[in-house]
Amino acid sequence: MTAAPTGTRTHPPRVTAARDLAAAAVLVAVLAVLPWTEWGNLRLLFTTLIWTTCSIAWNLVGGYAGQVSFGFAVFYGIGAYTAAVLITEAHVNPYLAFAGAALAAAAASLLVGIPTFRLRGPYFAIATIGINEAVRVVMNNMEAVGAASGYRVNEMVGGQRAPFVMAEHYLSMVVIFAVALLVSILVARSRFGLALTAIRDDEDAAADIGINAFQHKLAAHALAAALVGAAGGAYARYAAFIDPGGVFNFNNSVSILLMPVIGGLATVWGPIIGGAVYGIVQEELVARFSQIHLGLYGTLLILAILFEPGGVVGLMRRVWRALTGRRVQGGPVPARGVKA
Amino acid sequence: MSAAATPVRDPAHQVPVLEVRGLTRYFGGLAAVKDVDLQVPEGAIFGVIGPNGAGKTTLFSMVTGSLAPSAGRVFFRGRDVTGLKAFQRVRLGITRTHQIVRPFRSLTVIENVELATRYGRRPPGTAAEARRRAMEILEFVGLGAQAGLPASVLPVGQQKLLELARALATAPDLLLCDEICGGLTDAETREVMDLLRRIRASGTTILYIEHDMRAVMSVCDRIAVLNFGEKLAEGSPEEIQRNPAVIEAYLGRGAAGVDSDA
Repeated sequence: MTAAPTGTRTHPPRVTAARDLAAAAVLVAVLAVLPWTEWGNLRLLFTTLIWTTCSIAWNLVGGYAGQVSFGFAVFYGIGAYTAAVLITEAHVNPYLAFAGAALAAAAASLLVGIPTFRLRGPYFAIATIGINEAVRVVMNNMEAVGAASGYRVNEMVGGQRAPFVMAEHYLSMVVIFAVALLVSILVARSRFGLALTAIRDDEDAAADIGINAFQHKLAAHALAAALVGAAGGAYARYAAFIDPGGVFNFNNSVSILLMPVIGGLATVWGPIIGGAVYGIVQEELVARFSQIHLGLYGTLLILAILFEPGGVVGLMRRVWRALTGRRVQGGPVPARGVKA
Repeated sequence: MSAAATPVRDPAHQVPVLEVRGLTRYFGGLAAVKDVDLQVPEGAIFGVIGPNGAGKTTLFSMVTGSLAPSAGRVFFRGRDVTGLKAFQRVRLGITRTHQIVRPFRSLTVIENVELATRYGRRPPGTAAEARRRAMEILEFVGLGAQAGLPASVLPVGQQKLLELARALATAPDLLLCDEICGGLTDAETREVMDLLRRIRASGTTILYIEHDMRAVMSVCDRIAVLNFGEKLAEGSPEEIQRNPAVIEAYLGRGAAGVDSDA
């Protein structure tokens, strides 16, 4: 925006995705070269990228469209199991298996979304909790994939068990993260993203200007589920063992929701900051103080909702405003939790 | 009880832009709208008046599709649209403004309008074209200077204009305005009346709910009066002002003969 000297006329600022895309390209490039340097703990970064990808995905549905879901572990788990079975039973190339995981999770998201998106606000949130638990219980009894005792992932290359190469797992996750980031940036300023925001603000008013709210929510949900499913697939291949109590755990759903709330809802960078904070805290603190992390997230969440509902991004924008006296376009939306 | 016993056809013998037949809506045991028939001819500014709770907004919601009728049909240019959802009717050309303003508060003023152009009846090919059209509409209603502001910071008078701009952006063929003058000053009301005339002149038919009698009488060609969910009377503004049943519904028994200043 040019600094017009006087006058009340504010020209509509044209916020483009160019700046975000440039920042994303730099971030992804840095992440991609890390394995060839001596910096960075690839294991820690790998899990952090998984969380961050899920956080970006949830933000599409919970942030932009305002549909607070407590059921994203369903898509994580379905992605994990799909990739695991494709790799182990069908000897599918792992990257194709991740794509299959994304498709399976997106398909599952339609099954979840078609009944639940007819509900609004807290009713939708409660329904997703129920679905998460129901799916976990079903998977606990699914004998074909090992039921509650879990499923072992066996990747074969030329008749041999594939060797474990951390850098390769890590790079596969950088690719998935880059796709998630690209999707998020493109959605943020698109007609689709604006329509999701309109649906969050007032679903009936959105219908009155011709927006098919139900269809838009389903589409955002499917897009998000696909990203989470691919991340779940990458996790399954890395861990080489998955079980329903792990991947379908309700705690995962809560974590996926916490990250964008802490980072800043309905922003491009909020979920990434939230995911990075969460991933690092999870890995570094949990090992040493196994119970403290839940208290820490609780505290962060309460602080965010009480003092800075825009999350970390909101806080940074507030500081920026205080320092420069200028507003930043497209601020995060306040996290008021589940609204009726 | 049906007012359609002797249908009063418009002399032009055209298919009315909007026709509702026997439209009824119950909330529990209460009939908010009961057996209402209306025919809104092409190019009209058609007023719907009535005391509070007469069912005007309920009638609107059934015409736009946000509320399903308990009975009756809605026809748009002869086509039965009763089963269509609100967003589908927008794409045919039926749009409304809301009595209580409902802007998208997280979006800027121009984004509100731009989005409506892009999902309305005639979506522009490009984002730039959508923005240009949105800006034209904002200039038309007098919100050009506010285009870049967040919609949430506008005063109520301007939010009413934003409602109108957003509805116009969908390129409506039939525009339903729900008490667009409520809370406006006399000068603002005159401006809005002028806008409505210009919208009609551009080919859009208007169905108009209003409490401000002077506004309704000055701008409408034809008026229907609702009372307790039923159509009490229909006619030209002069006929309505002279109608004893209408005067009674508004002012109570014995008030007939009170002069009106419209």
